[in-house]
Amino acid sequence: MNTHINSDFAPDALVIGAGIAGLQSALDLADQGLQVLLVERQASIGGHMIALSKVYPTLDCASCITTPKMSAVAHHPNITILTNTEVEGIETREEAHHVRLLQKPTYVNFDKCIGCRLCEYACDTEYPDPFEEGLGSVRAIAVPFTNAIPQKAVLNAEVCGTCGTCARVCPTGAIEYDQQPRKLTIRTDAVILASGFNLNALTIKPQFNAQRSRNIISPLMLERLLAPHGPYGRVLRPSDGKMPSSIAFVQCAGSRDESIGVSYCSRVCCMYAIKQAMLLSGALPLADITIYYMDIRAFGKGYEQFFQNAKAMGINFVRGKVARIDPVDGGDLSLRVETTEDAENPLQVRHHDLVVLAQGMIPGWQPAAITPVACASDGFIATPSLVAPTITTAPGIFVAGTAAGPKDIVDTIAEAGAAAMQASQYLHQKHSAILVA
Amino acid sequence: MSNSDELRAKHYNEQEPRPCGEAECDEEAHTQQQIALAGWQAGNRLRADGEEDPLRIGVYICRCGGNISDVVDVERVAETVRLIPGVTIAKVHTFVCSDPGQHMISNDILEENLDRVVVASCTPFLHEQTFRGAVARGGMNPYLYEHVNIREQASWAHKHDPEGATAKAIRMIAGAVGKLRYAQPLEQIKLPNHRRALVIGGGLAGMKAAADLASRGIKVLLVEAGTRLGGHLNQWGKVYPSERTAAELVAELTQRVQHDPNIKVLLNSRVTAVSGFIGNFKTAIESRHHSASMQSRAEVTVGAIIMATGFRPYVPRDGELLYHSQPCVLTMPEFIQLLSSVSPDTKKLTYHQQAIRKIAFLHCVGSRQLDGVHEPGANGRLNTYCSRTCCTTILQQALAVRRRFPDVEVFDFNQDIRTYGRGEENYYSEASKAGVVFFRYNGEEPPQVHRTPSRRISNGALTVTVKDALTWGQELEVAVDMVVLGTGMMPGQIEDLIGQMKLATGEDGFLQEVHPKLRPVEVAVNGVLLAGTAQGPMNITETLAAAGAAAVKATAMFAKEDVEVHPYVAQVDPALCHGEAQCVTQCAYEGALKLVEMEVDGEIVSRAEVNAGLCVGCGACVAVCPHRAINLNGWRLDQFEAMVEGIATDLPQPPCASELVSIH
Repeated sequence: MNTHINSDFAPDALVIGAGIAGLQSALDLADQGLQVLLVERQASIGGHMIALSKVYPTLDCASCITTPKMSAVAHHPNITILTNTEVEGIETREEAHHVRLLQKPTYVNFDKCIGCRLCEYACDTEYPDPFEEGLGSVRAIAVPFTNAIPQKAVLNAEVCGTCGTCARVCPTGAIEYDQQPRKLTIRTDAVILASGFNLNALTIKPQFNAQRSRNIISPLMLERLLAPHGPYGRVLRPSDGKMPSSIAFVQCAGSRDESIGVSYCSRVCCMYAIKQAMLLSGALPLADITIYYMDIRAFGKGYEQFFQNAKAMGINFVRGKVARIDPVDGGDLSLRVETTEDAENPLQVRHHDLVVLAQGMIPGWQPAAITPVACASDGFIATPSLVAPTITTAPGIFVAGTAAGPKDIVDTIAEAGAAAMQASQYLHQKHSAILVA
Repeated sequence: MSNSDELRAKHYNEQEPRPCGEAECDEEAHTQQQIALAGWQAGNRLRADGEEDPLRIGVYICRCGGNISDVVDVERVAETVRLIPGVTIAKVHTFVCSDPGQHMISNDILEENLDRVVVASCTPFLHEQTFRGAVARGGMNPYLYEHVNIREQASWAHKHDPEGATAKAIRMIAGAVGKLRYAQPLEQIKLPNHRRALVIGGGLAGMKAAADLASRGIKVLLVEAGTRLGGHLNQWGKVYPSERTAAELVAELTQRVQHDPNIKVLLNSRVTAVSGFIGNFKTAIESRHHSASMQSRAEVTVGAIIMATGFRPYVPRDGELLYHSQPCVLTMPEFIQLLSSVSPDTKKLTYHQQAIRKIAFLHCVGSRQLDGVHEPGANGRLNTYCSRTCCTTILQQALAVRRRFPDVEVFDFNQDIRTYGRGEENYYSEASKAGVVFFRYNGEEPPQVHRTPSRRISNGALTVTVKDALTWGQELEVAVDMVVLGTGMMPGQIEDLIGQMKLATGEDGFLQEVHPKLRPVEVAVNGVLLAGTAQGPMNITETLAAAGAAAVKATAMFAKEDVEVHPYVAQVDPALCHGEAQCVTQCAYEGALKLVEMEVDGEIVSRAEVNAGLCVGCGACVAVCPHRAINLNGWRLDQFEAMVEGIATDLPQPPCASELVSIH
């Protein structure tokens, strides 16, 4: 795997973000013989997708789809990867983009680290594992997760007590407590922004009281609970480890809601809720599962059939809006629901022991102030071209995946290919122009 | 008994399975078992000098994060298959396909001197190529690798029978190990790559894919059956979410396509024949000129084919929702035509000399059809899928009506509003603000259209009845002057191409990709790519992205000098061939097999010869040869026999004290 660069390294293209969009764009560029630098702020490539359980509509395990792409990127002779690296800005001058990078210290010398994890086993400081959405814990120095690339330990300086144990047990002397951040600027001709998404806060709607109950969880937490190699190995609710028997999905809990500033649809929540409901009914065959929704947006190829299968499996779809959630005794939750399905009783109070809030998708990065690209009123990167949805407002800078608005994996992968096509086209034209001149 | 039979008899000494219950599992029993196993003397292969080399086979068993290991006892599988002679190591890993998993394999090849590898995991469809790559990185020939599918075929198929699934997994691996004993190193076959693409369909997807490819210097032949480029866009007005006109979009792409020297556009033309394979497709194109009586036919060799054949709008049956029975029941394309034909100054909307004051839009006409509710179409199929674009189109048109003709009332009948895309939710909220009245039905009870009884006809000639969920299930009647059917998308009529090119279609009738995430624009036939709505309903933005994704795959393919194809082709052993030509008669691929004259012991004889470039590896020749003179590389007859024997042989129980290497 190429992870080394010197300051005169000038790749043909630089891809920002190594989630599924960035991975696919990098592969599609590199397969054309172009040199690509892939920059990722996290300690491993893989993005959100590598942490998912299974993916709709095929119910393939997410790892089965993501790991080979991660591996293909890692082994590609034309791709160089920089992890733990933030983009601080992009300046365009002399017909090239100059991308300012900040390599954050990992306190581990990657040339020396052999990924043996002896430091991780010896470390006695733990903190909530971000990969497990805080449901499990991880040591202060650790390889980020089982399938991580690179398989190198990274030390979290915010929790480390600097006891020195890791340095003592490391067989290769890889621990470097005095590592400093490194700044570098990379000159490149084309940039693809694949900076992905975040979810808005679980607590964004105060009437849902998410801060008052650990049993109101995020969909990404449920992904980890459902993952066969997840934190508990099975589905247990966070507050007391009880196996839930009545699970509610509250849809549009952070989207299609002008009161919280997210008026758009997050596009993936209907389908992942249906998928999670299906997986739950496999994991907890006796549990009642209810999805509270406004519209079921099963629009993609095979999605409607997936939705109909879920209905046939006995998952309850209740058309209605959840107005309020309150914690009640025993860790359970009481939901006030207005539904269109019961003429006698449109306002109902229903009890569940685990609630999943469909948070809204928001941009994962704010490039507007520090790069030449503009964002649209929804906050995502603007794509003004009528004939090319991956062209941004800045020449030579392209966008792929959820950086340009909510999108599922299938649509993201197609768009990542399109962005790579557009970027290679731009490079080809630019180089031809230079030859002509 | 043939040589290989003797060898196999030696390999597979008939061994009674030994029970390994707790009582028997003492040291003595183990020793006995070890001695018995040593007696197998198997796992060897013949060297050229007649001596035997011990095989060193590595077997890797994947937990697939629980997908396999929740049912199959993978540790026991590993312990058992380690007893198969020739198996040097058997390891279990949570995700063999992950980088650490692949690294383990390439590392073991180097450090343990492995010369054969088996991975027992998911379907080869997903990861055979992944593991061939890992094996090659370890310096081994990638065809000394066997893939065993113990997920789809063991853990998923026998979810409720862990014991049976485990036993099956063991036998499947034993079969693969058997097959590997006779495996030979193979090389991919390199063939010339014709750096030219054929794009079938001159609509949005075809034009975009052609423009993308041409801009990278690739020659493109763009074939359109109609008289002009642009496809369905030529019938549309403003498109969402940009609210610019379809004409503008068509003009911009047509301009690029027609002025690019790398693109040749053939209008009024059809692809009538396709044969060959990636890098080397032979195609025939027939064109009509001026009058239908003049035709020309061209034969073109291309390296890649992009299917941009598009969709066909759903057309309701006569009488369906009073379509073709009442003049004021229109499909969406007809309604868009009507609106665009009205002069911008007109303040009143009229149709058939009749003032239109109230319009009903019905969603999901020809989409999301349910068994028992809807009638199957002419093809005997229900369109169970969502057409993805109709909701936003309806709201866009409803809003346009309210803004242009404020006096016209608009009623919308939907089961869900699917304005999922960027900027699309605005159409919903704007339409609501603009006074569009929404009704909601359950899919099982779609709204009906009736003629209004004559005493109430002044309210509108048509009445829509609906059981409306927004009023908690009230039966409502709405009298309107016009009903617009939100008709969806149907697969294009390309049955001839589907047959000729051996393309797969899904249950929905659209062209089927290999895998929606791993290979989303590729089909099972290498070198054929999908762009746009040939694959399924998409809106304009999605179609443009899909066309770009197809173009980038073709560009990457053309970046190589040669195309490499699998080495599974027939091979003749001239020493065994009698020149009887039964194989030649049986071969369905022109030129793949022929008789050639050659000199053997001073005599001129006829012998069969394979053209590796034309052979597809179907094996029909192998089946008819009476002398076993022809074999399929990678699937030789001795490999099949060893595989069957491997599956059929009962393996002894593993020792209880596990020495298994398990990597978590």
